[in-house]
Amino acid sequence: MTAGARPAPPKKSVRPYLVAVAVTAFTIFAAKEVGLSLSQLTENFKTGRDFLARFFPPDWEWAKENVPGPMIETIQVAILAAIIGCSVALPIAFWASKLTANNKWVYYIDKWFLNVIRTIPDIFWAMLFVTGIGYGPFAGLLALIMFSLSIMGKLLSETIDSADPGPLEAAKSTGAGHTQAVQASILPQVMPNYVAYALYIFELDIRASTVLGIVGAGGIGRVLEAQRAFFRFDRIMAIVIVIFVFVFLIEQVSVFIRRRLV
Amino acid sequence: MTEVFRDSEEPTARPEPRRGAKWTRWLIVAVLVIPAIWAALGLGVSLERILSAPADMWNIIKAMFPPDFSSKQLGRTFPKVLESLYIAWIGTMIGALFSFLLSFAAAKNLSPRWLTFIIRNLFNAIRAFPELLLAFIFLPIFGLGPWTGTLAIGLHSIGTLGKLSSEVIEGIDAGPLEAIDSAGGRRISVMRFGVLPQVLPSIVAYWLYRFEINLRVSAFLGVIGAGGVGAELVSQLRFRNFPAAGTVLLVTIAVVLVIDTVSSMIRSRIIAGKAGEEGPTELFEEPSTVGVL
Repeated sequence: MTAGARPAPPKKSVRPYLVAVAVTAFTIFAAKEVGLSLSQLTENFKTGRDFLARFFPPDWEWAKENVPGPMIETIQVAILAAIIGCSVALPIAFWASKLTANNKWVYYIDKWFLNVIRTIPDIFWAMLFVTGIGYGPFAGLLALIMFSLSIMGKLLSETIDSADPGPLEAAKSTGAGHTQAVQASILPQVMPNYVAYALYIFELDIRASTVLGIVGAGGIGRVLEAQRAFFRFDRIMAIVIVIFVFVFLIEQVSVFIRRRLV
Repeated sequence: MTEVFRDSEEPTARPEPRRGAKWTRWLIVAVLVIPAIWAALGLGVSLERILSAPADMWNIIKAMFPPDFSSKQLGRTFPKVLESLYIAWIGTMIGALFSFLLSFAAAKNLSPRWLTFIIRNLFNAIRAFPELLLAFIFLPIFGLGPWTGTLAIGLHSIGTLGKLSSEVIEGIDAGPLEAIDSAGGRRISVMRFGVLPQVLPSIVAYWLYRFEINLRVSAFLGVIGAGGVGAELVSQLRFRNFPAAGTVLLVTIAVVLVIDTVSSMIRSRIIAGKAGEEGPTELFEEPSTVGVL
């Protein structure tokens, strides 16, 4: 090759174009199915503008009386669900990694279990528990425990997969049992990640528990649903603002701690 | 060599356990146990209630089996699941389009400080609203139906995707940008040939990942009437028609599993360049990435 020769341009392929056409076609079809249309959208905005007037001004007098109680319930559900869910997830995550599973059957069953429970959204869990156990925050708590468990199980087991296996071999060569060896070698490696994930899951739980009440699983969502039935949108606005400020603050604090941790 | 022998003459002292371990442990206990007790007392949760929960759940699962696989029930369920799929897809598209444009303005290496500050906090603010809450607000404005759910998912996705995309853009190599700049390329060329090729694979992978999440979200948005399979689950559970509810759940789980598998295959292909190599898990390695899933 002579110096300064231009490198050959990459080969042209039709595949990207085919993919683009297929994606566009599916998008247009799906857009039709969900009822996307510009004329309707402008109409929506017109009614929306009139409607937004009913959201203002937020009814703070009412909110002062009625929001703090359910809001505390929401926080309690999130705290307890994050703590229980993340604790239960710890052994489950270790069984779901090839590196630390006791044997391959445990690994496959656990992995399958985590994949399946991860497909069920938090609100579905809440509906199932409400049906099985009855209305109230306890159903929400159980729903968020399942939700926390499924996310922590996936995140932590993937972190364990990429942990350094050296210390594990070292610990085993000293004659430590499987559990002992894992405890001494892998656990300290993934601990910072575990704490960071736990904080992240707490954030998700807070966000989720604010709306669980809409399906009857306790917390501030229950008040939201009740006020919607009364068409009191000024009260809904007050609740929405409280939720927003609260979730925003929790997230900022949690992100700050997480950046420090990892 | 001699040094090694000298060392072995007197046995190595055991390393001292790290100091401060004790009070850290107490601090952790205080941070975890006190709120846990406060929450448990406030909710009236007792250990026996938690331990009896699996049995209650088992009863419901038993009632759902065998699921109602009659063609009538499947004929009701499938169109609803497909509707959820469309909602998730269009919602993701809306989120991808707007977040892509905004993420350049939110990247510290491409935009002035004041602009990144505004856009970043816009992303944070959007993310603070759960999708169900957004749909709840949109419902009286846009009416019952899939369009409301689509908008709620689209808006929330702008926040989550915007944050991730701008972080991808901030992580790029500045070399190619300078090269194009010094060759006299205009700003648009710098973006097209310097930035875009570096960020597109990761960003498209995030879009797909978000689509997987949005599919779960659109499944439950139907609960409040914003379109999708959630409405069907609500009505079957309300009428205590457990075999039919079981069908709805199983079909939803199956569709989500299939989409997850296909999407993560495409993702690892995009990121690693070859099928079957590691990729999707890498998405979670960055601590900042854990911020939004």
